[in-house]
Parts: sequence; structure tokens; C-alpha cells
Amino acid sequence: MKRKVKWDNLYLIIMFVILYTPIFYLIYYSFNSGGTMHHFQGFTLEWYKEVFQDTRLLIIVLNTFVIALLASAISTILGVMGALAIYYVKKRRMKNLLLTLNNVLIVSPDVIIGASFLILFTIIGIQLGFTSVLLSHIAFSVPIVVLMVLPKLQEMSPTLIDAARDLGANQWNVLTKVILPFITPGIFAGFFMALTYSLDDFAVTFFVTGNGFSTLSVEIYSRARQGISLSINALSTLLFLFTVLLVVGYYFISQRSSRLYGMGGRK
Amino acid sequence: MKHNTRNVYLIPYVLWIVLFVVAPILLILYYSFFDIEGQWTIANYKKFFTPIYLKMTFSSFWYAFLITVFSLLIAYPTAYLLTKTKHKQLWLLLIILPTWVNLLLKVYAFLGIFGTYGLANAVLEALGVGTKQILFTDFSFVFVSVYIFIPFMVLPIFNALEELNPSLVDAARDLGASAWTTFRRVVFPLTIDGVKAGCQAVFIPALSLFMITRLIAGNRVITLGTAIEEHFLVTQDWGMGATIAVFLIIAMAIVVIITGNRK
Amino acid sequence: MSKDVIIRFEHVTKQYDGLVVLDDVSFEIERGKFYTLLGPSGCGKTTILRLIAGFIEPTKGTIYFNGKNINHVPANKRQVNTVFQDYALFPHLNVFENVAFGLRVKKMKYADIQEKVAEALRFVNLEGYEHREIREMSGGQRQRVAIARAIVNEPEVLLLDEPLSALDLKLRTEMQYELRELQRRLGITFIFVTHDQEEALAMSDQIFVLHKGKIQQSGTPKDIYDEPVNRFVADFIGESNILPGTMIADFLVEFAGKRFECVDQGFYPNEPVEVVIRPEDLEITTRDQGKLQVRVDSQLFRGVHYELCCYDQHGNEWLVHSTKKAEVGEEIGLYFEPEAIHVMRVSEAQEVSDGEGSDET
Repeated sequence: MKRKVKWDNLYLIIMFVILYTPIFYLIYYSFNSGGTMHHFQGFTLEWYKEVFQDTRLLIIVLNTFVIALLASAISTILGVMGALAIYYVKKRRMKNLLLTLNNVLIVSPDVIIGASFLILFTIIGIQLGFTSVLLSHIAFSVPIVVLMVLPKLQEMSPTLIDAARDLGANQWNVLTKVILPFITPGIFAGFFMALTYSLDDFAVTFFVTGNGFSTLSVEIYSRARQGISLSINALSTLLFLFTVLLVVGYYFISQRSSRLYGMGGRK
Repeated sequence: MKHNTRNVYLIPYVLWIVLFVVAPILLILYYSFFDIEGQWTIANYKKFFTPIYLKMTFSSFWYAFLITVFSLLIAYPTAYLLTKTKHKQLWLLLIILPTWVNLLLKVYAFLGIFGTYGLANAVLEALGVGTKQILFTDFSFVFVSVYIFIPFMVLPIFNALEELNPSLVDAARDLGASAWTTFRRVVFPLTIDGVKAGCQAVFIPALSLFMITRLIAGNRVITLGTAIEEHFLVTQDWGMGATIAVFLIIAMAIVVIITGNRK
Repeated sequence: MSKDVIIRFEHVTKQYDGLVVLDDVSFEIERGKFYTLLGPSGCGKTTILRLIAGFIEPTKGTIYFNGKNINHVPANKRQVNTVFQDYALFPHLNVFENVAFGLRVKKMKYADIQEKVAEALRFVNLEGYEHREIREMSGGQRQRVAIARAIVNEPEVLLLDEPLSALDLKLRTEMQYELRELQRRLGITFIFVTHDQEEALAMSDQIFVLHKGKIQQSGTPKDIYDEPVNRFVADFIGESNILPGTMIADFLVEFAGKRFECVDQGFYPNEPVEVVIRPEDLEITTRDQGKLQVRVDSQLFRGVHYELCCYDQHGNEWLVHSTKKAEVGEEIGLYFEPEAIHVMRVSEAQEVSDGEGSDET
């Protein structure tokens, strides 16, 4: 019995080691004065300095975050509307059709999304650059938000709305005072998911970004194709720290909101 | 009156669907009938059925299959063991955390690890196997892809296992089933939906990976994704790219139908 | 008379993360009888069942099955089968495959499996349902499938974990008869877990009343109903009027300011005791004819009887079940036989008196 538990734990430990090795490998060598990802020669912060002196890179980082925040905010609004639309549609077939269309972009490979958007923007005549990247990010984030919000809506007891109507609330009151507060955790989750997808996206952006505009993923790709440069390592360390902060923040927010909204939901 | 306000939500959403879901697919289909000069043709389809493209399609499917199978073999026990741990939500978060690190960075890390003097070769050296060429091989491609996809496989399986009524496992044991029989006849069949969802989340993207092939496999592995990227962004032959994309969409639809008959 | 003991618990304790759910419990289960473990939720009754089934191992103590220590025998190697509270039917298998599960695991020949499954289904009145899916079955039918799935393996002991709790009242009563009948026909030991005292009284040969991880009392339904050993049992089994009193001498007890003849003896002179009188043992008479005088505070019609809530001059509450009607506010007399008075030692009651609030169902 005891022995079995040990093997189980060993398996999990190996899993976690493998999952985190590449990340810590990057971080470790970001301090290597040797300039390569092997043979650690000496500690240096030179690569970090290089990152902070690289104005082009900093602008790209800024671009990436602006795109991510804008895209996830707009797609959250659209996604909530979409979820409400699907929720209110009464006909089963219509509902299923909407859901299927919603999921198309989620299951589609990135290259397909990228290639088809490239055609779309070229036909409509939108210049490839900031606008096209932003529109694409909004487009592929909307279904994610819908999928995060819809279960919350379906979880909501229909009598809740009836109760609000009974107490004299109009459509707008029902939406702002009952529905939106109830689905807030779903909205937050959707926003964060959209943010991650946007920050993480490479393939779609790679297709629809023109020559003048670049996001972090695309930049890393083009630098990595030229070989190893430890400023990428330094950058990845900074990004990893940022991600951890984001996760911890998200964890606390979700803990708090589950305490606020999940009172009845706990078994 | 009531109806109108509700339809307000439909308008922007349906607009989004038409513009970014329906239109792009139709455009891909439309473009697949044009050659590089802009002439209407079905030559692209003829070309697709030549041995070069068929072989590429086949190998793309083969790699995607391998990646899916290995991901499943590694992820299922992981998910299962995770559900047995005490702070399972925290451990799950730690499994998901690497997916929040930019994909390119993780791929880039393997450039170092698999390099001639990297960690992997150092380990091989220490084991007495000696230095091997790891980078730019199919092995490195499959390994890195599996690494990238494991969390996406773990998550749905973990959720399916969590939904499994534990008294069903008790019942199987009670009826005389050994641990293995219980797994084979009760646990696995009842978590098959999670497995399907995981396979879907891995197989389709695995068909279309191009950054990993470019960076890690050094053009040794050409997937459908690589070919599409090549045609759209390098040779500018959008017609042929769109044709390959059409087949990728068909493949995707088939995979979704096979894995998607969930209740 | 030698007892045919099949299961024996010796000083069994079970802890979860330091929390004691079963506290040094010892008892014996005889072959071929219908046992009920009765108690409020969290009393440890399901823990005993899971220990017997082998899903958990005791923290301390030993469990014997047919005289052999089975502490470390896994569930799949035990001659015991369980009917689960939520039935735990495999949703991906149909009725036939559910019932056949245990037989298939044993690698029995298909022809034999068919025969045995058909027989088991006949036993629970589900002939012809072999090819139904579980989701097409009603609650009562699922219940029967779960029983068939367990008994088809011919266990020596059948464990039933609150199997009737999900059924509606009418079906539940029906199934009580059927289960009792099934136990007689099979002749094997049934161990039945419930929090419903009526169910326990109606079905069992022997009842164990559990509370806070300890067995409070064991005995036949009649013993337990008529002679509860402490306040918890008296309160949990049926409705009771429980009053503080004093045992003046053998066969003489004082409560509510009066002395009454009773049938209990063996107490110290003037020992403080608790007195139990069941509401249905109280008869309504005129004020003068009654042994006690009370004022009717409220009255409910319960179908078979009226339920009266009365107060005596000392402020004690008296619950009366009577077929006769009274007027609210009326002064009435209560009459009862000496046998209706059950006297309990306070010390026995004290042990559990801090558990008042735990009779949630």
C-alpha cells in the first residue's frame, strides 16, 4: 500500500519536473554571461539590461499588451451579448446552430483562422497591422467568452428572473441587478481566458500582421529562427514572473468570488 | 416589446458569426478554385491528389496521431493521480500554469535543451549513451509537441474523472473486480468523453503546427499547417494554400464528429 | 445455544484525519438475520458498512468474517455485496450487463451468466427488462436492478446503504415488505443502514442504534422501542415524553410532582432518573379520572389520530396521540398503565445528552 503511493507520487513529480524544466532552463541561462544556453560561465544581468535598452522590443511588448487588453475587453462585451443571445433563443435547433457556429473558431486550427482572416482583411481592404491584429484577436476570443459565460447563465434559476419581475423590475433592472451580478464570475473567467489567448497567440497574428507591426510571439519567433539569444531568455523570465503574478491574482479573485457567489453552491 | 430587447443581443453576435466564422470559411473555399495568376481552376485539387501532397497529408496525420497517443498515455495517469492528491485544485493549477507561458518561449527553450551541448545530451552523456543529434529530428518534434499539449489533455480527463461518481468504483470493487478490471470496465468507459475532448484538443492543432516544425524539426517534418503557411506567406500561392486548408477543415470536421457525440 | 456468528467487530475504531467516526465498537452479526444500523447522519453507520464491504480499513481493532481477520482483505475478495444509496448502477451498461458485471469478472460461462441474471431479475420482479438502459428505468426499478446485481453473486452478507431513501413514501413502504420477504427467501444476512426509525422497526430482527460513533443500544425492535436505555434512543425511536424524576423505591417513581406505580426496579433509593412515556400510551379521560391533569395547548389532526400538545401545572410538555378529540384550552386528565412508564438511569442518558442537536435527517 505505502509503496504504491510512493510510485504514484514519483510519477507526478517526474511530470512536474518535465513540465517546468524548460521554463527554469530558460530562466537559469538568462543569467549566463557566456551567451549560450549551455556551460554557465558566470552570473550577469547584462541580458536584462539589453532587454530594457531595446526600445523596439519594449514597444512590441507594449503593443502586445494593448492588443490583449483591448481585444479581451471588447470580446468580453461581445461574448456576454452572445451568451445572452444564445440563452434567450427558444428554438432548440436555432440554439444548437448558434452553439455550433460559436465553437467553429475554438476547434479550428490557428493556421486556418490566420489564413482565412488574411483573405478576409485583404478583400475588405483593411491594412495589415494594428487593426487587423486587434480584429482577429477579438474574433477568436468571443467564442471563448461565450463558453465561459453561458454555463453560468444556465446555472441561474429561471425563477430568479421571475422573482425580479414579480418585484417590479423592468428588463434593464433584471439585466443589471440580477443577471449580470450572477454571471460576474463567468465574465471574469472569460476576460482572463481571452487575455491569455491573446497574449499567447502566435499563429493567427503571424498571418495577419503586416511588416510594420509585431507582437511579442511573432518577435520571439523571428529571433528564435536566427538562433539563440539570451535576451529572449531574460525576456521570458520577466514574462514568466508576470504570468505567475497574474495567476496568483486570478486565484485570489476567483477564491474571493467563489466565497461571495458560491455560498449555496458548496456541498 | 419583450422580444425586441432580447433580439438586441443577437445583432452584434450574429454579425460576428457572419463576418468571422461563416465568411472566412466561404472565402477559403472560394480561393481554393483560383491559381496563382487569379484564373478560375480546379488544378489545385488535382495537385492535392498527387503523391507529394498525399504523402505530406499522410505523414501529417501520422505525426498528429502519434502526438495524440503519447499525450493520452502520459496525461491519463497524470489526471488520475491528480484526482487522488490532497490539494488537487492547486496541483491542477500547476499543470495549467505552463500553458500560460508563451508557446514560442517553451519551444525556444528546447532549442537549448536539445542542442548539441544542451541538457538532454548532458544527461545522455552521463548515462553513457553519448551525444546524439536530437534537434531537427522527428523525435524532437513529437517530444516538444507532446510537451506542449499535455496540459490540454490532462484538463478534460481530470474533469471527467472528477465527475465520475466514486460509488461506481466502490460498486465495481464490491462486485469482485480487481483494480485493473475496474479501470478497464468502469472508469475508462465513463471518462471516455474527457478522453475524446482531450484528443480533439490535441489532434486538430497537431495537424496544423508549423512553428514547432520550423524551429525544432528544421523542415524535416512538414505538416498540413506548414504547407498552408508556406503557400500563404512564402510562395504567395493562396489558391493552393486554400485548397490544403479546405482539406484540413474537412479533417477537422470529421474529427469533431467522431469525438463530439457527447450527450 | 450456540450462535452462528458471521461477522464480528472487536474494538474497531475508525478515524479520518484525526476525526473519530467510529469509536471502539464491538458487536457480532449472526448468519441469516436482518440487521439494521440506525442513527442520524454522521453517526458512523455507513462507516460500519464500508468497513464490512472493505472500502476502508479500521484504524484500530479487528474485523472477523467467518472467524478470519479480514482487516486487509480488499473489497473485491470479500463474500459481501452492497446495494448503494444512489444504487451506483453503471450508466454505460444496460440492465443485463449491470447484473452480469460480477459474474463476468469471475469469468463465468456466458450461458450460465444468462441463466443467473434471468433468475436474479425474476427474484426482484424485473423479468424481461434485460435490454433496458439504466436511464430508462424508474427509481424503484433501479433499486431492484441494484439488488439483483448484488444478490446474483450469492453473497453471504448483503449490505444495504439507505437504499430506500430516494423513493417516495408509497414505494418505500412497498419495498420494505419486499426486502424483508427477499431476505427470508434468500436466507442470507442483511445489514441495512437507515436513519428512518419506522423503517428499522418494521423490517429488522435486530437493530443497532448508533450515535456519535458508538452503539447506544442493540436489540429487537420491540426491546428498543419499549425499553430505550437512554434519552437519545428514546428520543430518536418514536416520539416520547421525557421527564426528570426520582426513583423512590422499587416499583415506585415520582415525576411531575406525583408518585406513580411502575414496573422498574433495581435502582438506588431516591436515585434521580429520566422517565419516558410514549404519546400513544397516554389516554384522554376527564380531569378527575386522569392520573395527571393537563391543559390542551394545541391540537393537530394526523389522519389516524389526533396529536395534542398539553402542559401540566409544572410546565412539563405532554405529547398525546389519541383517537379522541379535545378542545384547545380544555383541562383534561391523562391516564396510563404502570407498564407505560419506562425508567432510565440518568448516567446512561448523560453520556449522550450533549448530542441533542444532531437528530437531523
